[in-house]
Amino acid sequence: MCKALIAPLAVAIAACLASAAALADSSDSARVGDIQYGNALDPTGWAPLLWPDPRGFSWLHAGMMRTPSGVLYPYPPQRDDQGSPLYKDSDWVYGGFLQAGWLHLSGDTRAEFFRQYAGWKSGIALGLLALYADNPKTGQYVEFRGSRLSGDDQYYRLRAGQYGNYKIEAFWRVIPHDVTTDAYPLWNGVGSTNLTLPAPLVPGGSTPAQVAAVEKTRPRQTIGLTRRRAGLSFEDKLWGNWIGYVSVVNEKRTGTRLWGGSMFFNYVLPDNGGILETVRPIDFSTTDIGMGLRNVGNVWQFQLTYTGSFFRNHKDRLDFQSPFQLSNVAGVPQVANIYQGQFSLEPDNDYHNLRLELSRDLKWNGHLSVAAAWGTMRQNDALLPPVTCTGTGGVFISPSANYTFDCADWNTTAALSQKTADARIDTGLFDVKAVFHPTPKFGWHAGIRWYREDNKTNYLAFNPLTGQYGYISENGSQGSVVPGEVGIFDPRNPLYWSYVTQVRAIPFGYTDSILDTGIDWRVSEADTLNLSWSFDRNQPKYRERKLVNEQRIKLAWVDRALGKGTLRFSYEFAHRDGGPYNYDPYQPFYSTALPGFVTPPLGNAAFTTDAMRKYDLSNRIEHKLRAIVIYPIGDTATISGVVYATRDNYGAALGRQATRNRGVSLAWDWQPSPATSMSANLGRDDSRLQFSNVNDFENLLGQAGRDNPAFGGPLYPFANQWADDDRERDYNAGLTLRHDFGRVRADLGYTYTYALGKLGYVFASPGALSTTQQPFVATVGNGFPDNHYHINTLQLGFDLAFTRTLGMRVFDIFETGNFADWHYLGLQNSLVIDHKVYTDLGPHPHYRANLLGMMLNLKL
Amino acid sequence: MRVVHLPFAAALLVLSALTGAFVVVQRAGAQVAHPTASSGTLTEQDFHRILPTGAAQAATGTGPHAGAMPASALTTEDFRRMLPRTDMRTDTDATGHAPVHAFLANGPATPFDSAPIAKNPLAPDAVAVGAKTCIACHALENVHASHSLHLAAFRAGAAGTGPDAACETCHGRGSAHAKDPTGPGLIIAFTRDAKTPIETQTGVCLSCHKGGARQDWIGSVHQERGLACTDCHNPMARLSAEGVLANNSINQVCSTCHQDIRDKFNRRSHMPLPEGQISCADCHNPHGTLTADLIKTDTVNETCYTCHAEKRGPFLFEHAPVRENCLTCHDPHGSNQQALLVLPVPMLCQQCHTMTLHPNDLQTIAGLATGQAPDERLIGRACLSCHTNIHGSNNPSGSRFHK
Repeated sequence: MCKALIAPLAVAIAACLASAAALADSSDSARVGDIQYGNALDPTGWAPLLWPDPRGFSWLHAGMMRTPSGVLYPYPPQRDDQGSPLYKDSDWVYGGFLQAGWLHLSGDTRAEFFRQYAGWKSGIALGLLALYADNPKTGQYVEFRGSRLSGDDQYYRLRAGQYGNYKIEAFWRVIPHDVTTDAYPLWNGVGSTNLTLPAPLVPGGSTPAQVAAVEKTRPRQTIGLTRRRAGLSFEDKLWGNWIGYVSVVNEKRTGTRLWGGSMFFNYVLPDNGGILETVRPIDFSTTDIGMGLRNVGNVWQFQLTYTGSFFRNHKDRLDFQSPFQLSNVAGVPQVANIYQGQFSLEPDNDYHNLRLELSRDLKWNGHLSVAAAWGTMRQNDALLPPVTCTGTGGVFISPSANYTFDCADWNTTAALSQKTADARIDTGLFDVKAVFHPTPKFGWHAGIRWYREDNKTNYLAFNPLTGQYGYISENGSQGSVVPGEVGIFDPRNPLYWSYVTQVRAIPFGYTDSILDTGIDWRVSEADTLNLSWSFDRNQPKYRERKLVNEQRIKLAWVDRALGKGTLRFSYEFAHRDGGPYNYDPYQPFYSTALPGFVTPPLGNAAFTTDAMRKYDLSNRIEHKLRAIVIYPIGDTATISGVVYATRDNYGAALGRQATRNRGVSLAWDWQPSPATSMSANLGRDDSRLQFSNVNDFENLLGQAGRDNPAFGGPLYPFANQWADDDRERDYNAGLTLRHDFGRVRADLGYTYTYALGKLGYVFASPGALSTTQQPFVATVGNGFPDNHYHINTLQLGFDLAFTRTLGMRVFDIFETGNFADWHYLGLQNSLVIDHKVYTDLGPHPHYRANLLGMMLNLKL
Repeated sequence: MRVVHLPFAAALLVLSALTGAFVVVQRAGAQVAHPTASSGTLTEQDFHRILPTGAAQAATGTGPHAGAMPASALTTEDFRRMLPRTDMRTDTDATGHAPVHAFLANGPATPFDSAPIAKNPLAPDAVAVGAKTCIACHALENVHASHSLHLAAFRAGAAGTGPDAACETCHGRGSAHAKDPTGPGLIIAFTRDAKTPIETQTGVCLSCHKGGARQDWIGSVHQERGLACTDCHNPMARLSAEGVLANNSINQVCSTCHQDIRDKFNRRSHMPLPEGQISCADCHNPHGTLTADLIKTDTVNETCYTCHAEKRGPFLFEHAPVRENCLTCHDPHGSNQQALLVLPVPMLCQQCHTMTLHPNDLQTIAGLATGQAPDERLIGRACLSCHTNIHGSNNPSGSRFHK
């Protein structure tokens, strides 16, 4: 019956493919994305077809062979020795497998970590549908597999072609991602571009108590997104050794994500400002195109590839309302009419990359490869007006100290120096590498890589309506609370001619050149040493350093004489330094660089302290050690393990100072027979990160010395230094057991994860703390409450065989979780704290969830 | 693993030849050992029937005689007599020159028709024996290999070219091995106990798979560490849905060595690798790339943009470390913080931002929602509550990523 249904389907698929002659696939492992098709129920995407053949692998010997490194290959799966003819006298044979049934969820099934990337849903589910047909005579084949846990979690994939000639791939998949399942957004319109306050809240006119009362009535929501991807690709042997491919992938991504919303500080201004955790829409579509042409000859290999990506955001903004009043901290008391907030969401963008790679075999068993690439990313989206407010913002103190601004001068695109972004970054790559192995015992390699990212964006924040530079900060809220902090510079107005604000976009870019060389020396048949040296010269633009150099020496040892095992050991030492460090390289992009800027009598407040070293640019000494061991135990077991350690020391008094990481992971695999297999793993990882910072002496900002950036100076006194020490420890364990009893096959799986995070702090004096926290210095202790993440997952399954073709799988997955993160501590009591509104309660502190499944197995 | 047991092998060969267990299928002028039940692949019952009890037990690893018979028990002449007639078309074919069939008069049916026969430096004088001879001993291997797309390709090629285009395409000409099955290195083998050098093994695979995704194999970290193709792939059985892998999925293959990375994917925030939605090979090309970390694109960021295209921009206002390297703030393999961050916020930001006023304050428990001075710089999304567009802003008022 089933065969009768499947055969026409396979014929239809084959017929379609036959008519689609020249289609094929992009180059497998060179392609980014869509390599893997599976889901939480079956991460391999092939599990029902992996039960081993009781006959083992060979009549000639028992057990399984090992990889060259010593790992046992799994026993080959049991499959029918041959497929069924597609129809009478057909050269095509086919086979297939269907697993479908019922899932039942119970417990805390909305727990975030239970369904983070799993679209579990009670009801009918397709575990796996696999169909395959091939023609041994012509080498043509067709394969299809699909799975569906729910509408938000499913995939279907078709592959077909002729071996070595052409390939076609087509897929459609839906991938879920739940960001939080415990969200209580205050606003109406979640998922749209316009968040409005529910009645009876009044925008800009509600008290925290009123907001809290409404917040408690808001329904629980899940914040997350769904990715729907479809793709088609072809690869074809065009002529001779020339192979071409083309692929198109389109993704539609929809949903929501947690977002922000700032209407100026609240922590330092009780009953003022506004901090809003909003929800933004996700409505993206991206089309990726890949094309390539390659020629693989005996001596030359050539590859030309084009990658294009075209991102479109169908919701380019988020408007939101703040419920809270703003009031000025100086001047005539007034209530600004500022309650509208807006974000620009990501602009559409286009990306092109063209790459040419050429390789040639050389004498002395050598190989030369040269690659060059050019890329560009561009966007020219229409810009939004600087603000959306209406009326008058700012603060009025007196006619000579009138810090108000007319929203009408800024809430139109006429207030912009350009109407579109006209942003563009071009990239270039050149890479050449030569490898020689003149004797089996000796090899040498050398290479040069050059990469540049050239940002051509040039935006000037100038308002032709007012003749002012800069922008309106935080939707107009900042300047409506603090007189003068509007965000604008005006060389004609003494109120604003000393205001420091960013007036140009900073076109960050860099040029990175890497030279590397090394030797391979086969010391003996079982031992190989590799020594390499590299010099990385990075030249960032408009950063604190114009030059960063890193030298790295790496020693690797591969040993195959450790009993029957294999050891891969490597040690790296790296030293990074560079040119002078400029703690404030952004001056050319600020109003201080514009004509007419008047330096105030006390000087400009220091931008930051001169002792800070940003860790991506600072000096660094790094040691890295790693050993991987694979050790066979008898003919049926393997022990393998990884030991690693990394130690980084940064040359910084302030900034990141040191990181440490060390860990060990061990695994034991045992497969005494095709009927039984077992594995266990244990791992522990410890990491530590230390950094230091210094609180500025804010009372000095109106006094002499405020322009002194020196660490240890009046603005950044040593007494205000503090340091954080972040320690994490992770434990992992796993166990799997499978046994084939004959008509019944059983499998057991258990995973354990425990992560512990401890964040401690020390400080030189109470001056290190925020002024709002200084009164409580006696009670702040020396660290935050521990964070932890603790998951246990137990899975038990039975496969029952009724007949040769019909069976059933019954399984259960039980998961418990415990979670704590101080970021969310206390939000369970209220999501509204003064003028702060939060949406996310965070992941469930405790949960238990269960998934029971019954699936029919049918061999087609 | 145990090596081939000579008593068993010899008996098998003799009996299979005598009983005509192999059926040579005539197709398009070529003689091919076809992997069907009727083609002579031995069943387990055959196996036990034709072998002495002890040999059968040895072969299945259950008896006391495993590996007991030394190679010297049989002479080369014995093997010559015992092997089934080769399915090579003529003796001339057996020299290794692929015969030209009428079938190919109009060009090869598949590119595998012209697949080169691997050269074994440890048996330079060997000649081709054809698949029939191989399968005489390796009957069950043939069954399993037949389920691999890889082997199906060679079989299709053999249909057009000749039987040497099947097994011997990868394993080299088999006569020396057939005469002395336990002779070290006489057949190109790809497993732990093989005497075939790793470079030879790799060369066999690259003879067809050169270029494309493997164009940068030479000089890559996996090549330098002495990995063989068969450390990650096993074309002799279908152990994975795709990719002819040595385990059931890409992720399982990679975690054989990179166990610590597998463990990181169990952390609180991770990409959907444990859930089977992506694999290591989605971002890394283990066969070598132009980058040291085997990233597939020119830079880390370009790989990230493949899924996170919205982050590509460029934006009107850029955040320097974001533009330069996503890894400055994120660990793509997993994190105990939200959104793959390498530190909790605001501490992540405070590693760099000590600017005057609010960024450089020490945050303590007093600033928690349960503390005496709840502080938005610490609670929930911390800095990101206000500097939300931290990956870059396209708003004219977005230089500080507020908009």
